[in-house]
Amino acid sequence: MNKVKIGVYELTGCAGDALLILDCESELVNIFAAADIEAFLMAKSDNTHGPVDVALVEGSVTTEEEKEELLAIRQRAGIVVAIGNCACEGGIQAALTASGTWEKEFKQVYKNLKHTNVRPLPSRPIDAFIKVDYYLPGCPIGQEQFLTAFTRLLAGHPPELYRFPVCLECKWHENDCLLNRQVPCLGPLTKAGCAAICPSHNLPCVGCWGPSEEANRTAEFQLLQEKGFDPESIKRKMAIYSGTTVVEFFQSLRKEKGSR
Amino acid sequence: MKKITIDHLARVEGNGSLTATIDGRVVREVKFLINEGPRLIERLAVGKTPEEDVSVAPRICAICTLSHKNAVIRAMENALGVKVPPKITLLRELMHLGEFIESHSLHLYYLALPDFVGFPNAIAMASRFPFEVKIALEMKQFGNHVMKVLSGRFIHGENPVIGGFGRYPTREELLFIKARAIQFMPFVHKTTELFCSLPYPDIPEEETIFACCEPGDGQYGLWGDEIVVSNGKKIYRDDYPRLTNEFLVPHSTAKRSRYQGKTYTVGAQARVNLLGERLRGEAGRMFTRFYNDRYRRNPLFQNAAQALEIMYCFEKIPEVVDAILSFPEDPGIIPYSAREGVGTGLVEAPRGLLIHHYEIKDGRITFADIITPTAQNAEEIERYCLIAAQKLLDEGKEELIRDRLEMVVRAFDPCISCSAHLVEVRQAEVTEWEKRLEQLKETKPIIIGLGTKNYGDDRAGLTLAERLKAAGHADAYLEEEIINDEAFWSTVEGRPLLLIDALNFGGASGQITLMPLVQVLWNSSLTHRLLTPLLDSLSLAHLKKAYFLGIQPQTLREGELSKPVTESIEKIVEILKK
Repeated sequence: MNKVKIGVYELTGCAGDALLILDCESELVNIFAAADIEAFLMAKSDNTHGPVDVALVEGSVTTEEEKEELLAIRQRAGIVVAIGNCACEGGIQAALTASGTWEKEFKQVYKNLKHTNVRPLPSRPIDAFIKVDYYLPGCPIGQEQFLTAFTRLLAGHPPELYRFPVCLECKWHENDCLLNRQVPCLGPLTKAGCAAICPSHNLPCVGCWGPSEEANRTAEFQLLQEKGFDPESIKRKMAIYSGTTVVEFFQSLRKEKGSR
Repeated sequence: MKKITIDHLARVEGNGSLTATIDGRVVREVKFLINEGPRLIERLAVGKTPEEDVSVAPRICAICTLSHKNAVIRAMENALGVKVPPKITLLRELMHLGEFIESHSLHLYYLALPDFVGFPNAIAMASRFPFEVKIALEMKQFGNHVMKVLSGRFIHGENPVIGGFGRYPTREELLFIKARAIQFMPFVHKTTELFCSLPYPDIPEEETIFACCEPGDGQYGLWGDEIVVSNGKKIYRDDYPRLTNEFLVPHSTAKRSRYQGKTYTVGAQARVNLLGERLRGEAGRMFTRFYNDRYRRNPLFQNAAQALEIMYCFEKIPEVVDAILSFPEDPGIIPYSAREGVGTGLVEAPRGLLIHHYEIKDGRITFADIITPTAQNAEEIERYCLIAAQKLLDEGKEELIRDRLEMVVRAFDPCISCSAHLVEVRQAEVTEWEKRLEQLKETKPIIIGLGTKNYGDDRAGLTLAERLKAAGHADAYLEEEIINDEAFWSTVEGRPLLLIDALNFGGASGQITLMPLVQVLWNSSLTHRLLTPLLDSLSLAHLKKAYFLGIQPQTLREGELSKPVTESIEKIVEILKK
């Protein structure tokens, strides 16, 4: 049987998701043995640009060059998996894209758009440019979720990912609810999969796995306000790891109010 | 002209490339380029609370995540006047030691060693060196374990916060870490011996300047409140710009660092050179046995120095664990109420000195400055690559250049996502500017002085234009006179242009360079607001007739023109007004 061909590609980000794959130490040798790793820049020098069955793409698109590279990856890949918050949501750097202040901030730092060896763009998630088959969220991705998903992909099955928010995982851990202690926790709004790590450390969820699709944001936001949290600070905290999603949500909320 | 290009440097963290341009028997330039897109991390910090930024800032880099965490926490605690008890400091040290073990073993075995034994990657190497690859995996795993216990997860753990930790490790967890560290000693011994006795090639070798944190108390260590430089100077944390000088390049994206005009090295090699004599125990014995003066000249010894540090870390862990256990009470999170302040945090990341600086007003960050080790090493990487390429060329070993340059870059263990705000390289022809200016003068160019008033030498271009106007030159303008004048731009179509400005091209103060404008646009990060109207108004053919006269500034701080730049202005005025 032919081995599955895999490519790991890194766009702009902290490279944490690729590093996390390298961090699967004991499983790493098995991963390299079970699949043909065609490209993995952080791990090897003999990388190829041929077709792959599965492309794991980390990082957000922040340059024209990356956009072109991404389009080429889509062309030669059977399945594209976005791994990590940058690829799924655009990463922390997409906050400026969402607020529409990117160009101003960029000029503040770099003065002129034509300065570098790259052609910069406001940060966007990869599905702004290509069709993405699966999303592995996280900042960075979780090892267990990655290994489970990867094994299923190798066997030709779709990965099965949590669709509910951190709050539910937190209940499984029987943690005391931080919201009841007046700590602004984003658990109800954030994708699960991290094992509710921060609340399990007595710390509020910062939302780094990105916004959960199933969360009822309107209700949650209402609830947080009722509990006495400052709406501006909740919005700001929610926006940090959610790329453009949450900002668009608040815009739609405002429009709804306006139309009523 | 021949170019050796290494696109997508492999086995380094992030997306970078290296270009060496060879002209006959001379290496013209070496460029270490960062191809990562801009993330504007420092701008993202503005408007956030200190607590939010403690979560966000370490996302700069996955490999040095806990170094960033410790640096941002130290900066915030300095700014807000938070004092933590020794138990918290010791736990942070333990966490930092874990990161050093993780990062150094990853770099040495996975990234660097394949070069010295001739394999494309560590997995391929495993068939010939199964033992070494196994040790590497286990050591790295142990480092990760320490990081996870203290920070909450492998990468970007949120457990360390301003004032302490959300959850304190249990006695059992700490004793396990101590026991494992002791068990590892035989492997650690082998690692240090292996990397200290590799046959490091003697190209490139040249003296340089080193800088690292001064841990204090005559100890080896991984942070401090002062920077120590190999010329004997000490720099207090808030005065860090004296070392890095990044603020000296206001119209360049390239956040370059030069100390007193010279490139310098940070990282394990710097620490071992500056503090190595303070190593105790087995690390001290290894230092005495292996250290020699090549450690001061050859960047490939970054590898050996990292191996000595792995020994230091493994010996230090049991000591730190015992000290932590002597404080049975968990201090929780130390409360604080300050909402304003300015603070700097210095730590040693595995690849060198890391600086975080914040200004906080009314509970929100108003200014952030982050200087990463790779940003400081970038100029040094280019310099050593240039030396290596030229030496190999001289010895007729051109075929070795490519691999050797990759080895040099890799030795610095560059962290490219860290340095994504660093780009570009100087390239300026410094020769024969007088002769070429004479020739250019014959074409009657329109002269435009660029710059900013009141910022030292940045007004050089303006002063020059003013002098020429005063001397009755008909075609001299200050930028402010013509910047938004569309009529002006339409009348100058077809005429040669000469732009004059201060330009940081790495020369001596007052040094003059004349080059085609396109070369500035393509090869340097020089940017100027004038360039946008210029690029919009002029055809490419016209652009090609434009020249740029740059004067190396001495100072770009508020104040007057410096003496060397004033003298250079005089020379240029003499030529142009004749």
